Amino acid sequence: MKPKRLLDHSLKFDWMFIVLTLALMSVGVSLVYSATIAEDTSVVELFWFKQIVYFIFGSVFAAALVFVRIDWLKRAAIPLYAVALVLLVVVLFFAGDVVKGAGRWIDLGIFKLQPSEFAKIAYLLIFSYWLSKHPVSLFKMKTFVVPFFLFIVPFALVLKQPDLSTALVFIAVTMVGFFFAGLTLTDMFLIVSPVFSVLFSHSQALVFEILWGLLICLVVFALFRRRLPKVLSAIILMANIFAGYASTMAWNMLEPHQQKRVNTFLDPMSDPLGDGYQVLQSLTAIGSGGLTGKGFGNGSQTNLAFLPEEHTDFIFSVLGEQFGFLGCAFVLVLYALFLWRATSISKQSSDPFVTLMVMGASTIFLFHIIVNIAMTIGLMPVTGLPLPFLSYGGSFALTCMVLVGFLLCLRYQARRR
Amino acid sequence: MLKGMSENETLQNRNWNVLIYMAGVVILFFILLMRLFSLQYTHYDENLQRSENNRIRKVVLVAERGYIYDRNGEVLVRNRPSYQIALTSMNMPRKKADRDLLFRKLLSIRDTAGERLFDSLSLDTAFQRSRWIKNRPIRLLEDATAEQVAIIEERSEELPGVMTVIESRREYPYGTLASHVLGYTSEISEEQLKLPEYDGYTQGDRIGQKGLEQFYDKEFRGVNGMKLVEVNASGREVGTVDGVDGTEPVPGLRLVSTIDLRLQKVAEEAIPDSAKGALVAIDPRNGEILAMVSSPRLDPNIFSLKKRERNKGWAHVALDTMRPLTNRAISGTYPPASIFKLVTAGAGLESGILTENKYYSKSCTGGYQYGARYQKCWGTHGSLNVVNAIRLSCDVFFYQAGLDIDMNRINEFGRRFGLGEKPLGVDIPGEKAGWLPDSASFNQKNKRLGWRWARGLILNLSIGQGQIVTPLQQATLIGSLATGKGVYRPHFMKELRDNHGNVVRRYEPEIIRPGNMKPYTHRILLAAMDSVVNHPGGTGKRGALPNVRVGAKTGSGEWKKGEKTHAWYAAVAPLYDPEIAVAVIMEAAGGGGAVSGPIAKKVMEAYFENKETEAGKNETQTAP
Repeated sequence: MKPKRLLDHSLKFDWMFIVLTLALMSVGVSLVYSATIAEDTSVVELFWFKQIVYFIFGSVFAAALVFVRIDWLKRAAIPLYAVALVLLVVVLFFAGDVVKGAGRWIDLGIFKLQPSEFAKIAYLLIFSYWLSKHPVSLFKMKTFVVPFFLFIVPFALVLKQPDLSTALVFIAVTMVGFFFAGLTLTDMFLIVSPVFSVLFSHSQALVFEILWGLLICLVVFALFRRRLPKVLSAIILMANIFAGYASTMAWNMLEPHQQKRVNTFLDPMSDPLGDGYQVLQSLTAIGSGGLTGKGFGNGSQTNLAFLPEEHTDFIFSVLGEQFGFLGCAFVLVLYALFLWRATSISKQSSDPFVTLMVMGASTIFLFHIIVNIAMTIGLMPVTGLPLPFLSYGGSFALTCMVLVGFLLCLRYQARRR
Repeated sequence: MLKGMSENETLQNRNWNVLIYMAGVVILFFILLMRLFSLQYTHYDENLQRSENNRIRKVVLVAERGYIYDRNGEVLVRNRPSYQIALTSMNMPRKKADRDLLFRKLLSIRDTAGERLFDSLSLDTAFQRSRWIKNRPIRLLEDATAEQVAIIEERSEELPGVMTVIESRREYPYGTLASHVLGYTSEISEEQLKLPEYDGYTQGDRIGQKGLEQFYDKEFRGVNGMKLVEVNASGREVGTVDGVDGTEPVPGLRLVSTIDLRLQKVAEEAIPDSAKGALVAIDPRNGEILAMVSSPRLDPNIFSLKKRERNKGWAHVALDTMRPLTNRAISGTYPPASIFKLVTAGAGLESGILTENKYYSKSCTGGYQYGARYQKCWGTHGSLNVVNAIRLSCDVFFYQAGLDIDMNRINEFGRRFGLGEKPLGVDIPGEKAGWLPDSASFNQKNKRLGWRWARGLILNLSIGQGQIVTPLQQATLIGSLATGKGVYRPHFMKELRDNHGNVVRRYEPEIIRPGNMKPYTHRILLAAMDSVVNHPGGTGKRGALPNVRVGAKTGSGEWKKGEKTHAWYAAVAPLYDPEIAVAVIMEAAGGGGAVSGPIAKKVMEAYFENKETEAGKNETQTAP
């Protein structure tokens, strides 16, 4: 009867969630180990060892978070947000340590603080806190004013670093927050629709023209059904049409080499000697793993020696090569279960803050998982987003563990009541 | 959550939203799984083959560096293949024990003479570096001999990660010939990499240092290409990647220089390497430099050798007290000596202070009394007009003329013909500026020493002691005085051609100084230059040619008490329709006419002989 016990909703801890987290961490350490097996340095210097230390440190942190009361979390939201903004400004103007051409770190001697990681957490807290008290509605536009400012400041600062992919995490959290703070699926569609307009009209192929036409029809239909205020409806429709035309116009105004740069970003394989080189290596590595993989420790000798970031951003290709399709599917199932257990915590409480925190934290995980894996298998542009629990790196490991800590805490505290 | 909804309704709504969210997660994960399935199952075979047997590697195709030719198409600088034994870390064994084995194997390799190919120190350094340099080969042996390459290639199977890389190195077939003009190439230094003008260069690039190699480096380089290749387990190339086009390298441009190889050879032979000196031969009609020698020379080939020999050669030239690295023809600064008398005379004629028949009250009795000072002449010349004063290079005449004319006029005239503080802008780096002192600049320059301008200084300056010129300036001076049609920027680049031989850029002659004067001044100066060579007692008669009328001026520059003078000789021919101007300086060698005159004569002789044989050739060609 163990499974039933694992899923017992009356327990203060979701043991299955903890087991899943530990499983993902173990997979991560093993992969980092096999990706960097050849570095012959002392044990303390080894990546896999350091990763274990990060996880232990993070776990202690997460365990401590469990005993923090929910209203303390709410109370900490504003100060933490303020600190995050200060750190983002500091890193932007003063302490830019140029790693990969971008100043993203503050060197504190013992470790390097990445303010954008800290900001993710602080933003999640304050955004959930605000929305839990002030639900949003498209019928009352002023409900969006404060959330918009809460969002735009850290977003702009992170974008300025420049760190596009992390900035996109803020957008994902914001959208999901709105969804759980009053907007319907139709509303979400209407808000996102201009982005689709841009995507569809970027190419002038007939298929895309038709798709865009369909999109506009759908938008009009949705607007009629929702009966939004007339001004807003007009704005959304105009935004779609404008986005459609403006993107074509803007595209044509770009110089050919700028167009090439955008194309390379969207489709790295169009530049196989530049960005596409990594992706090509990654695809070969994953593809050569087959159904069952080459076995633990056997992959890194071949293709992955070519990847300079095999143990960080491209860790999924190590998995794909060594454990094949089954290994990849296994990890994806672990992730899916992890997200399921995480989101189900929202059912433990009627407090909208809990729901928003849980969904926001899950979204941070989900966004990283999707964007990173899609990158390694050539479905998305090459960005620097790591894979939760699997990629090597202290800052992000700590972020993940703090989020896990929040999730444990929310369930524990909600049950305690 | 909206007002009017019950709490229950709200919670139900929230649970629905969570369900929708998870449905989205499942859809997204399903897309990822589909893609993974396609990669790992549908396209498994091709991916496996690519990964198991082959590896894909990015290879930079280095563009061929452009050659340098002389004006008649003779190759002055070309490329030769050079073999490097290198370590590629991605093909090296990953296990420490295997790497140690490889290390010991490499250390044990000996050539037929029993010498070790690699020394343990540099091997160890390379192995250390291989741990973090993943993307480019690490050199073990530079410029390896054919024997060394053969030894390595024979044992390639047991030496994973060790490979032979073919590079192209510069070769200077004539050795020291025109070495200061051509320059040399070497690997870009750390300091240079940081400079903005080397933006886009990477570590390990060979770049031009000094001379034309440096000045036209961007043109010589071309554009590197790139390709993806598949290599087998021991790192050898087995083919290219299908469907991926590399970029072809674009060879660098070829430079057709203004140097005349035959003339350059004659000039090089005329100046022994044991002497310090310089020679410039220039076409005053357009500024083309026909020959340039600076002695002692260096052999630019040493910079293409392997490190140990290169360092040895470098130490040899760098520590030499004769300073063979300096290009004396453009960086050597000397007093212009008596050649400057042409400028003093020109300024006097131009301002009307001197005329053809002007005689000074004090005739030359071997010296000139100025205040309390008695300034000597090198001979006793009696009473002279300006032409004869130049012919005999009489100082006493010019002491008086200088005091009459004043420095401002003299300097202004000199600057018209390329003297002075503004470099001429020749297209090789390192050109020094000259100096024409007047009271202001003299006081400024000697402020620290406490020297003040005094009128008595004009005595020295009017005979060319105290100014600073380069040999290049002397050549352009005499050339432009003879043509009277302006000073053209001296240059070495005639044309740049692409590798198909099409002219990409042609040097447009450019007038940089007016070089103008009254016809009267011009006539007298020409007569004076003529008399120096062709009239009895002329100081430059050893520079005369039988069939061509040469004009010249000698100079003996004093630079240190008790030492022999710098021997200057500047000549131009044919005097009334100039085609070539030559300036020669031999440091501390004695009188200009005796020492440097014959050298200039040899060069001019060769120039007109070549011209004759060419004209003869053309005639026989055109005759039916």
